[in-house]
Amino acid sequence: MQAYRGKVLTGILAAVLMFTLVLSGCGNSGTNEGNTGNTGNQGSTNEPANDGNAGEKPAEKVTIEFWANKFEDTTDAWFKKWTDEFNKSQDQVQVKLTIVPGDAWAQKLKAAQAAGKAPDIMTMSYSGIAPAAKTGQIKPLNDLMDPTVFDDLYDNVKEFVTVDGQFYAYPKLVEPSAVLYYRKDLFEAAGLDPAKPPVTWAEFIEYGKKLTQKGIFGASIAQTAPDLGWSSWGLQHNAAGHLPITDDWSKADVMNDGYKQLLTFYKTLYQDGIMPKQQLSAYADAAPFGQGKLAMTVSGSWAMGLFRNDYKNMLDKIGVAPMPSIDGDQTKPTSTLGGWTLVVDGKSKQPEAAGQYIQYLLAGDPAIMIDFFKTSQFSKFSPRKSVDDAMNQDEAASADEWRKLIAEKVIPYAKAEPAYPWDVSIAFATAIESAMKGEDVTKALEKAEKTINDYIAKSKLAGTNPQ
Amino acid sequence: MKKNKTRFDNVTAYTMLIPIVVPLTIFVVIPFVYALYVSFYDWSFYQESQFVGWRNFINVLNDPLFMKAIVTGLKFALFVVPAQMILAFLFAHVIRSMGTRLSGFVKTSIYIPTIISGIVASVIFVFIFDYNAGLANVLVNMFGVENQAWLADVKTALPSIALPAIWLGFGITTLIMLAGLLDIPESYYEAADLEGAGSWTKMIHITIPLLKNVVLFLLITGFTGAIQQFELPLVMTGGGPLDETTTPNLYIFNHFRNDVLVGHSIASALLLFLVLGSISAIIFKVLNSEKAVDG
Amino acid sequence: MKLKEQTVKTIMYAIGILIAVAALFPLAWMMIAGFKAKTEVLTTPFRFFPEKWLFSNYASILSDPMFLKSMGVTFSGAVVFAALSLIINSMAAYVFARLEFRFKRMLWVFVICTMFIPGMAILLTSFIVVTEMGMLDTMAVLVLPGVASAGHMFFIRQFYLNIPMALEEAALIDGANRWKIFASIFFPMSYPVFVIVGIGSYLGFWNSFVWPTMTITNPDLFQIMQFLNTFRSERATEMGLLMAGSTLAAIPTVILFLIFQKYIIKGIKISGLK
Repeated sequence: MQAYRGKVLTGILAAVLMFTLVLSGCGNSGTNEGNTGNTGNQGSTNEPANDGNAGEKPAEKVTIEFWANKFEDTTDAWFKKWTDEFNKSQDQVQVKLTIVPGDAWAQKLKAAQAAGKAPDIMTMSYSGIAPAAKTGQIKPLNDLMDPTVFDDLYDNVKEFVTVDGQFYAYPKLVEPSAVLYYRKDLFEAAGLDPAKPPVTWAEFIEYGKKLTQKGIFGASIAQTAPDLGWSSWGLQHNAAGHLPITDDWSKADVMNDGYKQLLTFYKTLYQDGIMPKQQLSAYADAAPFGQGKLAMTVSGSWAMGLFRNDYKNMLDKIGVAPMPSIDGDQTKPTSTLGGWTLVVDGKSKQPEAAGQYIQYLLAGDPAIMIDFFKTSQFSKFSPRKSVDDAMNQDEAASADEWRKLIAEKVIPYAKAEPAYPWDVSIAFATAIESAMKGEDVTKALEKAEKTINDYIAKSKLAGTNPQ
Repeated sequence: MKKNKTRFDNVTAYTMLIPIVVPLTIFVVIPFVYALYVSFYDWSFYQESQFVGWRNFINVLNDPLFMKAIVTGLKFALFVVPAQMILAFLFAHVIRSMGTRLSGFVKTSIYIPTIISGIVASVIFVFIFDYNAGLANVLVNMFGVENQAWLADVKTALPSIALPAIWLGFGITTLIMLAGLLDIPESYYEAADLEGAGSWTKMIHITIPLLKNVVLFLLITGFTGAIQQFELPLVMTGGGPLDETTTPNLYIFNHFRNDVLVGHSIASALLLFLVLGSISAIIFKVLNSEKAVDG
Repeated sequence: MKLKEQTVKTIMYAIGILIAVAALFPLAWMMIAGFKAKTEVLTTPFRFFPEKWLFSNYASILSDPMFLKSMGVTFSGAVVFAALSLIINSMAAYVFARLEFRFKRMLWVFVICTMFIPGMAILLTSFIVVTEMGMLDTMAVLVLPGVASAGHMFFIRQFYLNIPMALEEAALIDGANRWKIFASIFFPMSYPVFVIVGIGSYLGFWNSFVWPTMTITNPDLFQIMQFLNTFRSERATEMGLLMAGSTLAAIPTVILFLIFQKYIIKGIKISGLK
């Protein structure tokens, strides 16, 4: 016992000593050994190693914070590369980039906003712009950037970033949310023409049945409410011509034939065993198709990047087509245009510097953006005319058939993401999911109608549509 | 054991309590009071916050999904806590009767799952429950049952996410249970043996009553831990199918992530505090009645 | 009689080994999955071992300087955290188990109630507090906020309640004060409880992800879970890397377990009774 006590006490003493060391060592981190490791890591700290010996550097260099959502590795790398380039290109502004994992983005950002520590610049999706602008979370960019850069945007995308006549974000890319990918070899084996992918929902179901075999499902599409919430927007436009709420957001609008057919479509796919009873992966992750477990899949345009990077041996067998339409009319929308923008925080103390960086990165030299679209394997699309013009001169880009198909046959008909609160989307998505799980279509819609109307009343939503 | 006279040690007691009370006050209680305050506002980080009275709380209480989430949390706790405690109790007995060398291996192996983070455990179990190639379906196929949609079927989803929760907490629960078991003096059992008591009688009359302190602790922490589980449903099911696995904390998190203002999530978290506190108080009352602090 | 005892023992052994195997299987799968290409982690039909053993996942993690650095930072943080937590919480446990003082009931309720406050309720406001205190991007913000724990205090107290009064009454009669009794009787007798609570605190620190992500931006202080989560995103998870990384990250803790293992096996006798 006595000997043991000695050990415990020594241990505690050591621990306390260590604690003091750690606290004092890290409290003013960046001044000691940490410097050498900075180069390869996210962003660069404010006091780089050369600060001590390179005395001629002006001290008034402004530092701004930039938080980016974690995306594909190629996107992360692109942000790092061009942020470094920007920091080198001039000596007034230093941008510090932090890549934040998706699981913790909401917590980190909201806590920082609450404490007044939000970054100067952050990534934001199109659907977030209007609510953020309305609550003063982000600054209009009209005075922070050269106004002519907004003329370069396609008209529809320009609308996505406009609230009350002012530009609140600069877009980086657009991605259609629904594209059909299918296996040409399996089409042939099932006696279908690989040059003729399905164009109507009925064909999609019929082909799906023919393609289903042991170990391979005929098709897959979103099947959980959180995925359906956003991925079905395009198909709702396709079937009903509108979204589940009236334009002035005053009441639900789901009790019609289009919506019934939409629910029946999903229900048939699920109940007939064309798609798996449990998702093989989330809607946004098309890996199971690349692994050969599916004959057809619906996913966003970004899936092309996945196939081209990770499933090269499958590329010959993959066909790409617009998502089938309810009646085969391929000029009806099937997708929404999702995508990401950069915005400036409403409390930023360096809004001009932030604007300068956004202008450099997203609105400047087309070569910077072309570099991005190349590394993403042309699975994302430019909101800027000049970038597309430059890309058409580029051999790899102009020869890309998939890119051409989506640019010509999907994007022109795609719709904007809605700006209403997520509660509305999830209420309707729950109706789709419950129909898939066996609920009667009409009953499911009635329930969604009630939930949405209740929500409108509770949150006084009527008449607040910013568009 | 009778106490001669109550001896008060105010100064010593307060001094020794400072190290726990001060950090709890700064990092838990002050933020809690602050949260309580802002829950009566439309707390905006960029504009003037509006006082809204009880509206946030009323909205939460009127949301059928919140009630469903509380029930889901309770159901989840009922799947996890008793299973974990009974398994741990039996298993602690098994270990006790084993030889030292083998029990060393067995003990270490059951503690190891504890070191896996909730997110990684979720990822592993998503694979185990995979529809096409998961181990769970491979096993049921052996018995001639066709593939099950473990995580997408309303009936199996909640038990399926309870399994990794049991797996994660089983080791430490057993360890605690074992500590409690070994703490019971051998002489009690010897005395019982002399009287010819069977192992069942010994368990009912010696083991279980003397484990009360440990059981109380495990019940309270197991219950509060289980009802607050959130990583497992977040990664494994996203709260589905049809909100069947939306635990209270996942409900709160979903609102936190998707709402423009945070009032609704803070109000629901505060209401969850009430639920947790009152159920724990009941457990305390029932199990701790004759050993109250000041008694 | 002898035979029956033998049978019972065999059955016990069998159950024990069965449970151990079941507990270890997911971990074994994790370790093996680290040797698979990301396109191969889930193949139909189910296969436990990879078709082709791939060492690049483990190699790329080990050669990433961020990995070793965050392991070191997290490990030292977790050890300090566990040590501090033991001292603070056992002291309070002793006070609540043995001492009588004014406002005892009130203070007890005050401390215990903090156990039921959901983290989400105070996520934003506690962040504001640590920001105001200038603690962002320091080790202190990871260690201090969680170090006082009502749960751990409660646990230690439950064991202190089992220690017979007789032991300390003798010391009290000899004129020892409460500090001395705590330091010379309770503290040394606590080591088995400390093993359990220490492991709990250590793991809590080791596995935390959201709080470090919120408060730590400096890459030099990155925690191991922050590092591992860089392999996950909504559109694709680097399965092989995530599994390899989690396996490697578990090693120091397993070693720690093995070291403390002997204290656990020796027999956990809190009360000192025979």
